[in-house]
Amino acid sequence: MNTNPTTRSPGQPAVRVRGLRRTFGHGATAFEAVRGIDLDVAAGSITALLGTNGAGKTSTLEVIEGLAAATAGEIRVLGLDPIADRAAVRRRTGVLLQRSGFSGDLTVRETLRLWSGTLTAPRPVDDMLDLLSLGSRADTRMLSLSGGETRRVDLACTLMGDPELVILDEPTTGLDPESRRQVWNLVAGLRDAGSTVLVTTHYLEEAETLADRLEIMHRGEIVRSGTPTEIAAGHPSMITFDRLDTLPDPLTGVTGVRHERSRTTLETTDLQTSLGDLLDWADHHGVRLGGLDARSPSLETVFLAIADGRDPDAVTPARSADPTTAVPLEGSLR
Amino acid sequence: MSAATATPSTTAAPAAADRFSVRRLVHLTRWNLVLLARNRLALVYGTVLPLAGLLLLLPGERGDIALGASGIGGVVLTAGLFPVFYNVLSQFVNRRDELVLKRMRTGEVRDSELLVGIALPGVLCALAVCAVTVPAASALGQPLPLNAALFAVGALVSAAMFAGLAYWTAAWTRSAEAAQLTSMPVIILAIAGPILASLTSLSETVQDLVSYTPGAAISELVRVGWFGLDGTGATESTLSFSETWSQAAGPLAVMVAWTVLALALASRSMRWEPRS
Repeated sequence: MNTNPTTRSPGQPAVRVRGLRRTFGHGATAFEAVRGIDLDVAAGSITALLGTNGAGKTSTLEVIEGLAAATAGEIRVLGLDPIADRAAVRRRTGVLLQRSGFSGDLTVRETLRLWSGTLTAPRPVDDMLDLLSLGSRADTRMLSLSGGETRRVDLACTLMGDPELVILDEPTTGLDPESRRQVWNLVAGLRDAGSTVLVTTHYLEEAETLADRLEIMHRGEIVRSGTPTEIAAGHPSMITFDRLDTLPDPLTGVTGVRHERSRTTLETTDLQTSLGDLLDWADHHGVRLGGLDARSPSLETVFLAIADGRDPDAVTPARSADPTTAVPLEGSLR
Repeated sequence: MSAATATPSTTAAPAAADRFSVRRLVHLTRWNLVLLARNRLALVYGTVLPLAGLLLLLPGERGDIALGASGIGGVVLTAGLFPVFYNVLSQFVNRRDELVLKRMRTGEVRDSELLVGIALPGVLCALAVCAVTVPAASALGQPLPLNAALFAVGALVSAAMFAGLAYWTAAWTRSAEAAQLTSMPVIILAIAGPILASLTSLSETVQDLVSYTPGAAISELVRVGWFGLDGTGATESTLSFSETWSQAAGPLAVMVAWTVLALALASRSMRWEPRS
């Protein structure tokens, strides 16, 4: 793909964001979608920006893409300002919007030819049709395509300029599992060829497998960053079983107990010891732990904890305002 | 990237100046023409409807130049309203709604290239209609244009003016459906001009005001440039070739002023994405 990934000085991040803020509206109705974030995307890496809907991911990407100006903060893309140095930046970046559109009256091939003619150094249209497995649909009008096929045309446009930096906003949302796998293989291939990828996704297992670095956003701030392992590390493991209202007290390592309808969840910093103590206690008292499940922290547990406002390490003191299901006991999370 | 750009990125900026690219504009215009050709309704609106103005000449006396002036003035006006104004307005709003424009703006294309590229097919359509009017009117017994260059300039400025008015209207049009309503002020303003201008019973102040409307300016330009008619009530060709230039300065200035005003207003409130 990218034949010359060495156009940046070594060590310089492909994207560098400092103190980015984005506010929509004015006065009393103003809403701060991005609240002062710092972000580095290392050259040649895949960085995944995760977060719930409304966390500010797309608002952040729009600034990096040069489509919107920041309310405050400093943004460098490939060492340049995405708005002031627009032409230079656009030539070297490929963007996939979360939602975009094409003229329905053009065929797939015509759509790619239209896009190709706007680029300085496009790859051949036929190559792009092959890369995205669109060959059999080349002469189909855009309005007859499925959502997944349209997304692949979109992606073909993104990659046609052979970009050094690829910015993908939810590239796999709405795709069937096979197309999703294909897209992620493509993304991994981009990195292997030396490109940098900044991607948002809702599929945590994909981010966990593919991304070199994760940035988790919540309510306009980046609350956790690191490799998938780093992010999960230090986060409590979970023991769950059918609901029991009486439990041994204390249980070694357990930092929190929650009762959710029919299930009880223990959070622990020492899974092995807590589980051993729990099983000993159950044996002694003849208690049956139905549906027992014990697991080490995964990205999903961290992510859900952040989304619920239960993340102990989150920068924001974002405790859930809606504790309908969480019943924290003494000595629980905080 | 090619080897030619293998320099540290911090020095790459001056090499890639953000210039308006004629190559990209021609490319975009070509594809917009393809899209226009595939939209049968828009194409009929853009070509057949304007020429319908010539039907006015059929029942009239052959060589009646007052009638010819209103028929040909009608052709130029409709060529501005349909292929240019309404077509550009609906194309732009449609593509904005469908996020086609947002997609394009993530690439290398500049905003000005997108805007001119959307307007050009309609402008070309309007100019073609005006060109066809010359032999068609001649066949219907009308004289050839006294000052053909002035007529061509008028057709071009008229098309530019209506493109500007389309972008100004697009700036406050919510959706493609809404365009059916929001296009009305400009359409009424344009059509009312020549009708009011032909009424001799109006007071001088009102006549002055009417002459500043886009439609009245076009009508006056056709009367002067094509027929050499001096003043709104004239029925005999009295102007010489050179006099047509000075007589046309007024209506041309009015049209240029509308164009500049429309583009200035449009650029202040232009939106590229649907309102969320």
